[in-house]
Amino acid sequence: MSNELPSAREGTGLSNDVAIRVEGLTKRYGDLVAVNGISFTVKRGEIFAFLGPNGAGKTTTVEMLECLRKPTAGKAYVLGYDISKDKDNIKKRTGVLPQDFATYERLTVRETIQYFAGMFNSHPDVDGLIKQVDLEDKKNVLFKHLSGGLRQRLGIAVSLVNDPELVFLDEPTSGLDPKARHVVWHLIDEFHEHRKTVFLTTHYMEEAEVLADRVGIIYNGSIVALDATDKLISEYGKKNLLILKKTSSEAVPTIRRLGIEANFDEATGDVTVHLNHAVAVSDILHELGSADIPFSELQLKRSSLEDVFLNLTGESLEEESKV
Amino acid sequence: MSHVVLDLKASLKTFLRNKSTIFWTIAFPCVLILLFGAIFSQSSTKYELYLQNQDQTNGKATYWSDLIVKSLNATGAFNVYTVDPTINATDYAISNRLTSLLIIPSGFNDTVNMAWATRGSVIANATFVYDQSTSSSQIVLSIVDSVFDKVQLSTTIRYLGIEGSTIAPKRYGYIDFFLPGVIGMTAMTTSVFTAVALSARFKENGVFHKLATTPLKRYEWILSRTIYNILISYLGMAIMIILGLTIFSMKLTLDAVSLLMVAMASLMFTGLGMIIARFVKDPDGADAAANAITFPMMFLSGTFFPLSTMPQFLQAIAQVLPLTYVSEGLRAAMIFGQTQQAILNTAIISVLGLVSIFVGSWITKWEED
Repeated sequence: MSNELPSAREGTGLSNDVAIRVEGLTKRYGDLVAVNGISFTVKRGEIFAFLGPNGAGKTTTVEMLECLRKPTAGKAYVLGYDISKDKDNIKKRTGVLPQDFATYERLTVRETIQYFAGMFNSHPDVDGLIKQVDLEDKKNVLFKHLSGGLRQRLGIAVSLVNDPELVFLDEPTSGLDPKARHVVWHLIDEFHEHRKTVFLTTHYMEEAEVLADRVGIIYNGSIVALDATDKLISEYGKKNLLILKKTSSEAVPTIRRLGIEANFDEATGDVTVHLNHAVAVSDILHELGSADIPFSELQLKRSSLEDVFLNLTGESLEEESKV
Repeated sequence: MSHVVLDLKASLKTFLRNKSTIFWTIAFPCVLILLFGAIFSQSSTKYELYLQNQDQTNGKATYWSDLIVKSLNATGAFNVYTVDPTINATDYAISNRLTSLLIIPSGFNDTVNMAWATRGSVIANATFVYDQSTSSSQIVLSIVDSVFDKVQLSTTIRYLGIEGSTIAPKRYGYIDFFLPGVIGMTAMTTSVFTAVALSARFKENGVFHKLATTPLKRYEWILSRTIYNILISYLGMAIMIILGLTIFSMKLTLDAVSLLMVAMASLMFTGLGMIIARFVKDPDGADAAANAITFPMMFLSGTFFPLSTMPQFLQAIAQVLPLTYVSEGLRAAMIFGQTQQAILNTAIISVLGLVSIFVGSWITKWEED
């Protein structure tokens, strides 16, 4: 990576392929270290997710990048602008969806979008934005009468009023029901088509897995892993597992003959097979068939970011990320 | 500036869509004025005044005491009831639950003559016995006082006096006293509560957070909110003045000083609201704190009752409450035509207003540390 700072762009609107560069960013509150010297880059046009449990430092980080909090130490450049010196330029060129988007209670969907567009002195296609977030039948409804999911969709539309190059989404689906969550995911996914860079924070590993091109896992203020989602899983996740329900212990030596690991659980009567690339599932089934070993059910368990997180931190994200 | 206009438009739209805000800022003060005005003004009925003239020679009233009695009758403001000069008038007033009793003491005529001769080295006093809890007694007192002023035929030297009383607004009814007070009170409640509600709520629900990510500057937002509060206070003022003119046939002056006073009061109370919201962060707590500050101020700053009717220690407290200066300044400007007094009070409130809005703006943060 070049050491040349992207601030060389000087607001020309053109730049290299880096949207965000963070170097040793730190935030302390007294003795508490909320963000501990993190460094990373976000490429232009990618959806980058910051995954971690509540209190890991996600929101503190994103708010420093949004110029809402001053870092204690370290540097960060957003779209080439220094977050401590060039707030105005950053605010003009980025869109922000805060956690639980809120605004004037008694403005309608349409008026809210117009209000924020006015703040950016921009003239977006308001009806187009309303259509984009699928709020056409709600456009004259007051904000106070919108459900959580609809509010977030309006918040997404508002985050786009200035046609930003980069959008910050802080826990965009926190507290939404699964259906509302999938709608929001779909909207975020569409950002790809509009070639917008997305910086997303979430504590839902599924959200990161579904949406992100790359994921940074943040834990206790530090980044413990950062890579493309599938690479993280293959590097830090467990192997994929094949589970044979209610079979006999005879299955274990049969499968081991293929050169892969298998364990029998006496309590359940299940056999767990640790898959690897050397052996195909069909070979295992063929072998079992030849040996005439029965089983009642077959389960394939894919390794996920949850396993990655568990492996890296020794803690489970699952509790918090339960939908 | 376009941001200010934009936010102001949004705020006004919000105001018009919020029935409870409209009620509390417009309808409630109007109800207060109509209710209190009707109860205390009694413009159609006469006041009762009991009169005991002890200054008699051979059962005939002396010259000066007779002149006082005739002048009081001539005002047409009273039903005058004569009390037997031989009985204890104070006991009589207590046992008959009288609200206003004027006692002209024996020797009154001689004292007046002496006062004339010595050009005011002595004052001939009458005694006014009244029930402090009724506001009509204040009005009676002010009318009696104005009659005394007329009778003595001199504005420079005082010959006649009324003992045991402090003077309420001269020659004016309760509504004249009350209406400017309510205008001041409404400017206070509107501004404090709007500022508190917005600052505390916007902080808690993250609206500030979102606004801080736009190019809108904090000073633009505060300017918009202050203009909004001034406009709403003016709206309340206009409606109350219309009420006063049409229903109570008041004679009101609306001059630049009173308009400036309402604007500066709004400024001051907006700042005060922001200061409250800064120290009590939870919105419900902030509302309670705003109530705790505005509610006593309503009663202690002479909105409902003249300060002179309050005990000494409460009057001392009133002297340090900003709303006192607002109410008295508005009264001076709108009713009494005391321009100097009005300008002085407006100047005090302007200084306080600027200080409070600067402090309030300074400590209201959108961004976290």
